[in-house]
Amino acid sequence: MSEVATVVAGWGITFVILATYSIWVVFRGKGIGRELGIGETEQSDLEKDVGTITDS
Amino acid sequence: MPVANSGAKMTATLITRVLGVSALAATGLMAVLGLVISPPDVVQGEAVRMLYIHVPSIWIAYGGFALTSISSILFLRRSRRRPDQGRHYDRLAGSAAEVGVVFTAITLITGMLWGKVTWGTYWQWDARLTTTVLLFVTYLGYLALRRLPAEPAVRSRRAAVMALISFINVPIVHYSVDWWRTLHQKASLSVGRRPEITGEMYWTLLYSALAVTILATWLIIHRYRVIRLEELRDEEGLEALIASRLNKDFGSH
Repeated sequence: MSEVATVVAGWGITFVILATYSIWVVFRGKGIGRELGIGETEQSDLEKDVGTITDS
Repeated sequence: MPVANSGAKMTATLITRVLGVSALAATGLMAVLGLVISPPDVVQGEAVRMLYIHVPSIWIAYGGFALTSISSILFLRRSRRRPDQGRHYDRLAGSAAEVGVVFTAITLITGMLWGKVTWGTYWQWDARLTTTVLLFVTYLGYLALRRLPAEPAVRSRRAAVMALISFINVPIVHYSVDWWRTLHQKASLSVGRRPEITGEMYWTLLYSALAVTILATWLIIHRYRVIRLEELRDEEGLEALIASRLNKDFGSH
């Protein structure tokens, strides 16, 4: 493997690992939050705000 | 309901969103600096670009494992007074260790690729490489211990002790290149020693360390929250199970 190919492979693998782990952490949090009704609470608050804006 | 009231803090806040966007922008700039702007090394050629990931990754891993140890000590001190106290430190220890393991894996992978270009081989059982892989396996064991079924307080105490034992290897990994003759080069940057690199390479390496630190901080905060949510879900599940059992018992009488 050439130097450039090795560098591309190294950076590529690093970004894939970090992106996969970050997405997993965020979506796991969102998933459990939804199970516990936390996401719904935030959503309903948001909808309430949007409703107030559109009503006015 | 306490869960619903604290909901916004448990998923994402403005601060963590700003931190997340900053981490994304910082790593993007890190790629530009490391892959485009920084020049190739006279001796290592293009392979030097791998060090902008490899070196900061092990620093983050050391930092993560240090945070795990400090949190574990604080947990052990708090939980001695009252068994239900110190959960916060236990969560912090777990999240920092997991992020540390991810960055140790990145260190090993990028190191192997760099080794193939520079040394002509992916792996050598020299002191630095061997102690680093041992560090990785030990903290994997720590994470596995955290998942073993046991009473939460007992499990956390076991994990805290394991974290303190595992940390003994961190200075061994770091000083292995000074204590033994190894194939691995000495530290590029070290306190009290003149840096081995200068100019654009030096600043790119420092900037990469900053970018990776922002990302790791964001990951630790989010992972901490996920652990808290997992605990809440387990507690709710347990309460629902007890309630259904009570209903069943009273219903049958």
